Formats: sequence, C-alpha cells, structure tokens
Amino acid sequence: MRKKEDYHLENPAWCRGCGLFGVFDALKRAAAAQDLDPEQMVVVTGIGCHGRLNNCFRCYGFHGLHGRVLPVAAGVKLNNPGLLVVGVSGDGDAYSIGQGHFIHAARRNVGILYLVVDNRIFGLTQGQVSPTTEMGFVSISTPYGSKESPIDGPRLALAAGATFIGRGFSGNVAHLAGLLEKAVKHRGFALVEVLSPCVTHNKINTYEWFRKNIYILQDDADYRPSDKTEAWKRLHDPQKIPIGLIYQETKPPFEELVLSDFHRPIARETLTVDAPRLEKIMEKFR
Amino acid sequence: MANLSQHKHITDISVLIAGKAGDGVLFTGNVLAKILKRQGWEVVTCRDFPSNIRGEATSYIVRASLDRVFGRGDCIEILLAFDCNAVFRHIRTISRGGVVLCDGEGVGAMPGQLKKGKTFHRFLIRQLAKDNFDQEIYKNMIALGALSYVLDLDAQIIQQIIAEMFLKRKGQEIVDKNIQALMLGWTKAEEMISDTECHALDRRQDQGRLVLSGDEAMAMGALAGGCRFIAAYPICPASEVWQWLAIYLPQFNGAVVQAEDELAAMNMAVGAAYAGARAMTSTSGPGASLMMEAFSLAGMAEIPVVVAHVQRVGPATGTPTKTEQSDITQWIFGSHGDFPRIVLAPGTIEECFEFTVKAFNLAEKYQCPVILMTELDMGQNLRTAREFHFDKIAIDRGRLLSQEELLRIENFKRYEFTADGISPRALPGMKNGLHMVEGNEHNEHGYRDEDPDLRIRMMDKRMKKLRAASKNLIPSKVWGDSKAKIGIIGTGSTLGAIIEAQAQLAEKRIKTKFLQLRTLWPFPVKEAETFLDGCRHVFVVENNASGQLSRLVKSQVEGCPRLRHILKYSSVPFRPMDISEKIQRALR
Repeated sequence: MRKKEDYHLENPAWCRGCGLFGVFDALKRAAAAQDLDPEQMVVVTGIGCHGRLNNCFRCYGFHGLHGRVLPVAAGVKLNNPGLLVVGVSGDGDAYSIGQGHFIHAARRNVGILYLVVDNRIFGLTQGQVSPTTEMGFVSISTPYGSKESPIDGPRLALAAGATFIGRGFSGNVAHLAGLLEKAVKHRGFALVEVLSPCVTHNKINTYEWFRKNIYILQDDADYRPSDKTEAWKRLHDPQKIPIGLIYQETKPPFEELVLSDFHRPIARETLTVDAPRLEKIMEKFR
Repeated sequence: MANLSQHKHITDISVLIAGKAGDGVLFTGNVLAKILKRQGWEVVTCRDFPSNIRGEATSYIVRASLDRVFGRGDCIEILLAFDCNAVFRHIRTISRGGVVLCDGEGVGAMPGQLKKGKTFHRFLIRQLAKDNFDQEIYKNMIALGALSYVLDLDAQIIQQIIAEMFLKRKGQEIVDKNIQALMLGWTKAEEMISDTECHALDRRQDQGRLVLSGDEAMAMGALAGGCRFIAAYPICPASEVWQWLAIYLPQFNGAVVQAEDELAAMNMAVGAAYAGARAMTSTSGPGASLMMEAFSLAGMAEIPVVVAHVQRVGPATGTPTKTEQSDITQWIFGSHGDFPRIVLAPGTIEECFEFTVKAFNLAEKYQCPVILMTELDMGQNLRTAREFHFDKIAIDRGRLLSQEELLRIENFKRYEFTADGISPRALPGMKNGLHMVEGNEHNEHGYRDEDPDLRIRMMDKRMKKLRAASKNLIPSKVWGDSKAKIGIIGTGSTLGAIIEAQAQLAEKRIKTKFLQLRTLWPFPVKEAETFLDGCRHVFVVENNASGQLSRLVKSQVEGCPRLRHILKYSSVPFRPMDISEKIQRALR
C-alpha cells in the first residue's frame, strides 16, 4: 500500500498559508488511498500559482499553456485511457481563458479529474479580478471596484452535462481528500472545484470568510447527489455555498465511445504499415 | 455514334461545368473526371465555388490530357451551363471551335463577337429530367450523357462507374434510372450536335492512375505513416483531411475528435503526441492563427505533432472557398519565441502523400512540430496520380525508448543534452521514466529552471536539432534546363502552371529552369544559392499579393539577386500563360 509521501517530490514554494498546500496534500492522500502507481498518473496543469503543483507532485507532469489544460488532458486520456489523468487549473485558467474547453469537456464526459482551484483572484499576475471575483471587489485592475458579476463553475458544469460535480475547501483537507477519492473512481468527467484562499491578494475571501459561508451537503442525510433539480437549487442558494458531492450520474465516458478498443491504448501501439489493407483502401481512388 | 474520323487528334481538353451552388456541378465534374481517368487520360480539376450552400455562381473545370499535367490549362473547349448567367460569365474563356450547352433561353442576347467561332445549343436539362424521371436530380446524369456524346466517352466505363456509385447504397433500380438518364442525355445531344462540333477523345487503357484530391492524399499518407489521432475543427478547405481519417482511423485502432475550436484541436494533438500517438490536426489560415500558441508549446516542449495547412484566400475570413498562398510565412516565422519547426510544401498529389508519411517520421525524429503547407487548389481539386507504394514505407520513431531500454537507464532525462540536441523520449505510463514536460524554460529533467546559462544551453540544444534535420529533409527539385539563365522559383500547387509556362517559353526559344521549393523551413539555402548562381533573371511565382515566397528567399540567401514578382491574388489559380506572358514581357 502506498503512502502519501510516495507522491511527494519536494516542498512547494507557495506563499505561507496558501490554499494550494491543502490541495497538494489532499491529492496526495487521494492517490495513496487508491494505491495509484505514480507512473500511471499524469497531472496536467495550466498557468497560475496552481501550475507549480507539478514541480512538487511525483508523477508524470505536463505544464502547458494558460487555459488549455483540458484539451491536452483529453489528448492524453484518449490515447492512453488506462492512465489517471488529472487536470489542475485556477479560476482564471478554467473559467476565464479556458472557459470554452470547460463546458465541452463536461458535455463530452472525457474521463479526466479536473481540479479547479478557485481563489477568486489572479494571484500569479499580482492580484487582478477573476471571473469568480465578487462584484465591487477593489483590485489593481479594478481600482473603482469590479463592475462584473461572477460566474459559478459547478453551475456551468451542471448546465453543460457534467457527470460528477464536487466542491471542496482547502481549509478542510480531510473532506477534500475524501471528495477527490470519489472523483478518482468516477467514470467520466469529474469536476472538483476547491475554494482556496489567496492569502496575499484576496483579503475578502479568507479562510474565515469561507468557513462562515460554506456548509457540507452531505451533513444533510436527505441530500441525494443524483437529483439534478435539487443540485441546481442548492447551487443557487444566495446565502450559503454548498461543498461536498453536488451531483453525480452514470453515463459512458467519451473514451469508451470513441475508441475502437478501450484496452489497446493507441499511444502504445507498435506501428506497422499494413500494405494489403492500405492498397484495398487506395482502390477507391481508381 | 458519330463518325469522328475527320477530326484532328485531341491531346488536351478542358470542360467547364457552371451553374449555381446546389446544381450538382461538383458531382457532375467529379464523375466526368473519373470517367476520363478510366479512359486512360490524365486529369486535373479546378473548382471555383462560393462560400455558401445554395444559390451563388459556381464553376468547375475538368481538364484531360494525354500528357502528364499538374494544373489547369489556358483554354476551355466545352461549356455546360445550368443557366444562362453562367454562359455570360464564362463565354470569354471559351476557345474558338468551342461548344456551349445551356439549360435556358436568352443566350441570343449576347453580343455577336463573343459568340464568334463557338456553337450554342439550348439543352433543357432540368425539363428533360422532370419530364422523364419526375425528379430534377437526374439533370446531372443527363448532362453527363450529353458531355459523353460530345467527347465520345466509353459508355461501358460510365455504366460501371454508375454501378459503383449507386448499386450498394441505393440498389439496381436507381442504377438503371441513372443509366437511362445518361443515355437520354447522349441521344438528345446526338440529335442536336453535329459531328463536326464533337471533340472525340482517344479511348486508351486505364493507365493505372489514381484520381484524388491533395486532402485525400495527405489523409492517406497520414494513415499509412502511422497517424492514429486527429483532432480538428471544421474549416474550408482542410476538413476533408480530417473527415477522410474519421472514416478510416477507427478501423486502424485510431481516434478522431471534432474539437470545440482550433485552440483545442492543436492542444489535443499535442496531448496525444505527448502520450505517444502519432497525432495531427488539419486547418487553414484562421485556424492556424488560433493554433500558433500551442505550436510554440510543441516547439518548447519538443512534442512531435503534424499540421496539415491548406491555404485559402485571406486575410481574416477572406474567401474561404478559393485558393491562395498567403500563409506561406505563417508557420515559418509565426508564433512567439524561437523554436525549431519544419515546413514541407508538396506540389503534386504524390508529394502530398509522400511528404505526409515523411512528416510523421521527421516529427518524431527531431521531436518538433512539422507543417505540411498546401493550398486549396491542391487540397480540394482532383488530379491523377501514380499509385502509392506502401511497402516502401518505414516508420522511424527516432529516440523513443522502449520499456526495456528505459529500464536500463539510470536517472532518465527527457531533455538530456546530446551532441545533436535530440534527447531520449519516454511516454507517460512507462516505468522508470518519470519526468516533466514544460512550457516554461526547464532543465534536463523538464523542471522549470530560470538559470541564464541553462537557458542558453537549452535554447541551443533545441535549435541544434534543425541542423541535424537539414541533412534529412526533402531536397528542392529543379525542372527544365539546369543551365538556363532565366530562373523561376515557386512552391506548392503553382507547379503545374509553371512547368507548362516553361514549355510555352521553350517554344519561343526562351530557356528556363524552375526551382520547386519542397522544404520551406529550414530554408534550403545551399540549393537556392546553387540555383540562383548564373541566373540573369529570376522570377518568383506565387499566389499572393505581397510576395511572401520571394521575401522568404531574400531573407535567407545572402546577396540575393533581384527577384521579380509574378503574383496572382485574384483567388483563381495561375494559368500557364499568366506566367509565360509575364516573363516574355519582362524580357522584352
């Protein structure tokens, strides 16, 4: 049985108290709980503070472009579906520059675990507002307060047909790790949004603020994550932010539908030139 | 059948089929092309379509020649028009002695001098279809029947092709109806058209050629070359590459995705190639602009990915359904930062196939993006080609390690410094190969590193790969008289018009040589220098307004002599005489 240390490459260099420490810890715990071989795991990250996760998490890593985590991750998953493919984005990466890919990955139901670390601010670029920043928020890019309404990732995911929607809080690592364990086991696209304070640039949405404003859905024994209408209702609660497993349904993942042989990864095929078969195809041009 | 013995022997002929989008112009032309090919002729088609589905003017040239030809010709002998407007639009392009068949009245209103030397026939194709088959759709087969009479085509071949098209999908009844429509067209034409107007073509043995588009040839090259993944977004005129692969890849344990946009298409292909598949995308100018960022990533992260770029008229949305060469420098100088890339430019159907096969080997060997640069004229028009040889194809995966090799390595470094800059490659999922793939500057293990000395070494390592590659690229080809003092430089689908222009000039005792640039990047400096050496005049022929190819040559060849432009950016491909006349005028 693997321990969480098996996924620890080095200590991260985020700001002291950054929510990403909790995310890092929870992902290691979830991987260990599954006894996952680090060589069978790929973490694809975008641009933002979250992108440093690759530098400290021990597995195959791909740090690509801003906002393009999901298409790269889908390219990996489709060509080697046996791998656990984890995409990690920030709120800017996922909901701003990468928004187009987000809803399409959800509707396709590609088998990717997608972690969106939401600190409601652009941290790495020194504190501009993000698509999840509250209206009125004063930042270096909005000196007179933000005039834009925020969007909500899980709501978008639900509307787009995502089959697993969860939300965690980096101040509650044990709960987040449990949620990630469920997400890893899910067949298809799994969104786990993590409310994750930026201690440097966001003085409003602090640990304390989140603790006051969130509640765990699963504390309500009657909540059924298969009920889409109820999930929609909870996601629109003006008072409180629900965390936990918000919605889950069973639907065949994209890769099972697209691949002719799910158990024969394209990426590992020995390439040969089947001349007789190709000649037969060429006959159509005669 | 007409007695055609008194006619002069035809070696080259062009038929123009014209009407409105939705008239079935493309269908009619494609079937005609196939018939001619089976009758042993070389064929080239040239489409001129609007960017909409129904209603606007459309035309399609089908050229047949007994000699090998690679592009459209200068003259058109036969016009089959689905409406009178089409006749008005095209009458100037019809040669003396030409025959015009028109579905409609009103040709009489045309000025006499335009009609001079040509014969006109009112051929009510739609009416015939409605009266005899109750369905207008049969008009195309009736039209083909009439053309078959005029060209004295082999009815057996046509019937065979009809059976191939319809028997499996629609059954014997539809085959019979189509053959009836064909024969009706033939008979009606026979009643109307005199023997002297006919342009009877030789009936030769099928020469074993293929007839296909450049897009299809690239797709076939991809399949044969081991491509197993394509992600693309619909775009004219490149969609056919991806759509053809959508049929065949699943049969070869491959996968196809219609991405949400070109950003996703290119990034998916990058992800697939990183995972270990031979992966590609296909696009045109606007899509390529969106792909530029991931192109840079592929260069930095050393991902072997292939892009088939079929150029259309730009800038912006331009004219999506027409041809141009105005993206030549897009992938050569495009995107941010310095990184190695290889750009190949096929000029024939055979080259579309062969270069695509080669592109995948080059990509994996040099671990960099490889671009196939072609244009609508090559991508979508049909041409005859020698059959492809699959048994000669060798798959070379470069320094991709096997699991056994990887297990023997202590401290695997994905971006290891090596003499030629090419590092060993392991795939995610392999044992003993853990590493990072980074878009940030990185160290040999792939981890982000901003050390200035390392930065220099890493940049040099990546760029050095092109030096190694330059020995293994596709050499330029020189056509014509290698000692000639008049040089022509071109690339891609202008090849056909240039070669024929050379022949026209030779008839006027003007000797020329033509440098066909087949690898655009890394630029073949030595080949260009050797070619330019001893040239008194050099003309660069290209389908764009600013002379992108000549700018490329000038930027790479030190002390480059004066290059004269022969440009065409009307969205119509060059005719041979567009080039030969310009050269003659310039030399006067």
